[in-house]
Amino acid sequence: MKFEDEHNSRVLSRRVAPGLAIVLIAIASIAMMIIDDVGKRLAPVRSALAVVAQPIEMAAEWPGQTLAYLDQYFDRGALLRENERLRQNNLLLQGRLQRLAALEAENERIRALLASGSRLDQNVLIARIMSISPDPYRQYVKLNKGSTDGVFVGQALVDAHGIMGQVTDVTPLGSRAILISDPNNGVPVEVNRTGLQTIAQGTGHAETLTLPFLPNNADIEVGDLLVSSGLGGRYPPDYPVAKVRSVRHRPGGEFLDVAAAPTAELDRGREALLVWSPPEPDEPEPETVEPTNESEPSGGDDAAASGPTPDAVNSGAEADTR
Amino acid sequence: MIAGYRISALMMIATLAAALVVTLIPLPDGPAIARPAFFTMTVLFWVANQPYRFGLIPAWMAGLFVDAIYGTPLAEHALALAVAGYCTIKIRAWLWNFPLIQQPILIAPVLLVYEFVLFWIDGVAGLDVDPWYRWLPVASSAVLWPAWAYLMERVARIEVRRHN
Repeated sequence: MKFEDEHNSRVLSRRVAPGLAIVLIAIASIAMMIIDDVGKRLAPVRSALAVVAQPIEMAAEWPGQTLAYLDQYFDRGALLRENERLRQNNLLLQGRLQRLAALEAENERIRALLASGSRLDQNVLIARIMSISPDPYRQYVKLNKGSTDGVFVGQALVDAHGIMGQVTDVTPLGSRAILISDPNNGVPVEVNRTGLQTIAQGTGHAETLTLPFLPNNADIEVGDLLVSSGLGGRYPPDYPVAKVRSVRHRPGGEFLDVAAAPTAELDRGREALLVWSPPEPDEPEPETVEPTNESEPSGGDDAAASGPTPDAVNSGAEADTR
Repeated sequence: MIAGYRISALMMIATLAAALVVTLIPLPDGPAIARPAFFTMTVLFWVANQPYRFGLIPAWMAGLFVDAIYGTPLAEHALALAVAGYCTIKIRAWLWNFPLIQQPILIAPVLLVYEFVLFWIDGVAGLDVDPWYRWLPVASSAVLWPAWAYLMERVARIEVRRHN
């Protein structure tokens, strides 16, 4: 056997010795990781690479999709049953929606009277979950909607049962969302029963969140529903996040040991909703409704907006973060 | 043994793409944590067998793709692959002399180095690096190496035969 390059000059070879190459690569890599971490300034590089890798990811999705398709294709009975179930479910939801529409209208009117800035309607976009984190140590999902569909970083991801996570990376044809169960992610929540504000932190397991910042005398019980508070402006307010599963008081500890189970199906769903509030047009809204509460003494709406009720605090905070 | 032949870039890219697809196919959680690192093995195979055509820079660039797909800090997997590639270059003479079935003894430490670089960077980045099972792919990849390397050689030989 011969090695094609072995007769090359030892003195003037163009080749970089592996030992030197690895040192240069290590320096370049570490520099890149730091730059990437600090300012997200490598985002264009990342999205260019992701676009090139897109066909590969699609190819990896293909076997699973084909299996699912064949499954449906040959099992007509299951399809019919599912259709029937969905039809019933749809009817049920339609029925509820009718009542909700009336309630929503009423709520809008009452909010208009209070001149509070918060609005109920939100835009949604249905995205398909392409794959659940290929890396078992990180809690991510990939979605099939990208910047061409109007997805942007920070959008909240919601499924039928609660908040799933938020978008962290966007490429033209896809995006990636961090799940609320990722250890690097926290959701500002409030206890639905009492309005107590805290933060739910991921643990790396899809079934558990922790509430690390509750003092020992906090009013929280097993079974309490945690809803997003909307503070911080990332997650929309009032969506269910988790249910408290256990509350443990560690003797001598300053904080309670609270575990909660996410209500969203983080590791099972195939579809999810991207939710965002329409950004600008809600600013002039209070002015247009101003004449309706002309009879009230002026300053009344200021008091309402900064009043002590949790609702008003909420909407005020939300308006701040916009 | 294909180290003595010239394999085209197209062939290498095709096998790497195929390996990446196999690496990304969604699996249930159980098998997924022990899934052999097919892409890593393929990169190391080409580094071992075509060191002058597929060296450390291509290995590093291959790692960048993994980072883009996994969403890890850019250059994390790239650095790990380059370091593993460097180790492979250092032991390639032994690899060529060992029969495939005994090569896991040599390739396992290289895979261990690869996983250790990832472990280290994840640790510095503040991720949870405790689970013991993150080392499972080292074992499964080493066990699967002879079969995978054999398959790669078979595939590469298609081209060798056509040229001669």
